[in-house]
Amino acid sequence: MGLGRATRSLAGRNRVDCGVLGLRASAGLLVLVRRRVSSSQVAAVGDRVIDVRQLRKSYGGIERLHGISFSVERGEIFGFLGTNGAGKTTTIEILEGYRARDGGEVSVLGTDPAHAGRNWRNRIGLVLQESELNPVYTVRETVAMFSRYFTQPTDLDATIMSAGLADKAGERVGRLSGGERRRVDVAIGLVGDPDVLFLDEPTTGLDPAARRGMWALIEGLRREGKTVFLTTHYMEEAQRLADRIVILQAGAIAAQGTAEQLSAALGHATRITFLAPPRIGPAQVSAAVGTSVEQDGRRLGFRSDQAQRDLTALLRWAEEHGVELTDIRVSPPTLDDVFVQLAVSAGDPPDDSS
Amino acid sequence: MSDVALAAAQARHALKGFLREPRAFIFTVILPLFLLVILNGIFHGKSSFFGLRVPFAVYYTPAIISYQIMLAGYSSLLIAVTTERERGMLKRLRGTPMPSWVFLTGEIIRTTVVAAVSVVVLVAVGSGVYHVPIGAHTAIGLAVYTVTGTACMCALGLASTRVCATTDAASVAGPFVTLILGFISGVFIPVSMMPAWLLDAGKLFPLEHLAQGLREAFAVPGSTGITAINLAALAAWGAAGLGAALVGFRWEPHDSW
Repeated sequence: MGLGRATRSLAGRNRVDCGVLGLRASAGLLVLVRRRVSSSQVAAVGDRVIDVRQLRKSYGGIERLHGISFSVERGEIFGFLGTNGAGKTTTIEILEGYRARDGGEVSVLGTDPAHAGRNWRNRIGLVLQESELNPVYTVRETVAMFSRYFTQPTDLDATIMSAGLADKAGERVGRLSGGERRRVDVAIGLVGDPDVLFLDEPTTGLDPAARRGMWALIEGLRREGKTVFLTTHYMEEAQRLADRIVILQAGAIAAQGTAEQLSAALGHATRITFLAPPRIGPAQVSAAVGTSVEQDGRRLGFRSDQAQRDLTALLRWAEEHGVELTDIRVSPPTLDDVFVQLAVSAGDPPDDSS
Repeated sequence: MSDVALAAAQARHALKGFLREPRAFIFTVILPLFLLVILNGIFHGKSSFFGLRVPFAVYYTPAIISYQIMLAGYSSLLIAVTTERERGMLKRLRGTPMPSWVFLTGEIIRTTVVAAVSVVVLVAVGSGVYHVPIGAHTAIGLAVYTVTGTACMCALGLASTRVCATTDAASVAGPFVTLILGFISGVFIPVSMMPAWLLDAGKLFPLEHLAQGLREAFAVPGSTGITAINLAALAAWGAAGLGAALVGFRWEPHDSW
């Protein structure tokens, strides 16, 4: 009874979410969803590496995953995005065979991870979220140890090199930087030559330079045609790396599509901002560009779904009134915008744990 | 690579790591050696044992060997496995095709090698420096008790990883339990100087039986020290430990239990 009510109220909230998206979506999301379904009907079953249907999971009587469904095709980098507590790690650990599910169907490489054995483990690679390595071994010794576990490992030195650790192979893990250690994790994930690689928040805690290095490494995997399941709470990361993105929120899928589709679905997407000129307020600019202008500190800005038209109007107005605009920035819509929008619509504060 | 070869490779890897870790090396290999030297420096002359008058060196060499077997088999293994679990290494290994027993076997082989080498070093020091006689009966008893004692202590060490949630807890519990059992098993204070009730308490635990068997093999001429009661005590504790380890062993860090 209690559970039934919880499920009902949840379904209700999902409808509200969709409504918010739909309103702002210029119908893009509905089209997007329909297209996704038809393309998955065309795709051969063998091309689907991960298939999840109505996945449910409860902890302590409280449902944390409310029947989520998605699929990952071969050769795709799939971005699984969400705040801490959204259910990302629960989901990936069910896919990796670490956790049992409470309901729904899960297939990874055609096998149910809950009953998968050694042959299946031979075909998957794991980069877990929080795991350290023994600092006394060298990079090469560490990766070599893992390579022995697999029946058909990759070439050890080639894997270490492709992880960007060629000059660190003889270095002890304890002497590596955080970014380099994470690269060792990825090398371990790849050394069995897996058909699918799970990357659970590979850049969390890394400095910006190390993060860009990790991105380059993951982009290299795309060129090799690897199937990658990537979880992250960095919009920028999903946007840059993922072919397709699912946004998980409070245990339910809030949106899915490519990064561009998700951004476009929000409409009002491009952001145009500039330093507020002397004696000019939002109202004057608003009259010129025909949309509401907001002040954010010393900057004025507005959102536009027709950037060229609105920018032209802005510049012409400035020219005619002798106003000098400085530090003009035109920013494309980011997943952050999508994400903040979704978080706000569900009444949760946006994630700021980073 | 066959699973047996994999377990051997795992043991080699573990041994390499052990030799690079000063803390484990000092507490497992160096400490017993120091204890042997210090105790022999404090006590001179003879102790009564089994109605015999035996030199202290003959008493302490087997006593410290039994202590060393518990340090390596119980304390060191407990800390090593708990550390790997806290690092998330056990979870990571669980996600590979390697069967679980391969990792644990590798750790047990590593422990046994460390224990055996340390036993040989202690025997060499005892016989070379303190003139402790080593007969054939001593060698047989030593071999049997090193194997059964290490097996029993490894099982108890693995079982205790369930109780020690963190590396910190294991780093306290392992040496603490070993030290207390050392005192009540007559490792540091000769049994002739201990009250009966404390000796009786010691007999409830496996270290006393390991120490007693080894002492007999060293001190009693012609005796291997192998007795049914000692072996039965080690087997019972070992079996209980193995059972508890099989039921309660955890592969994930404590916060996900």
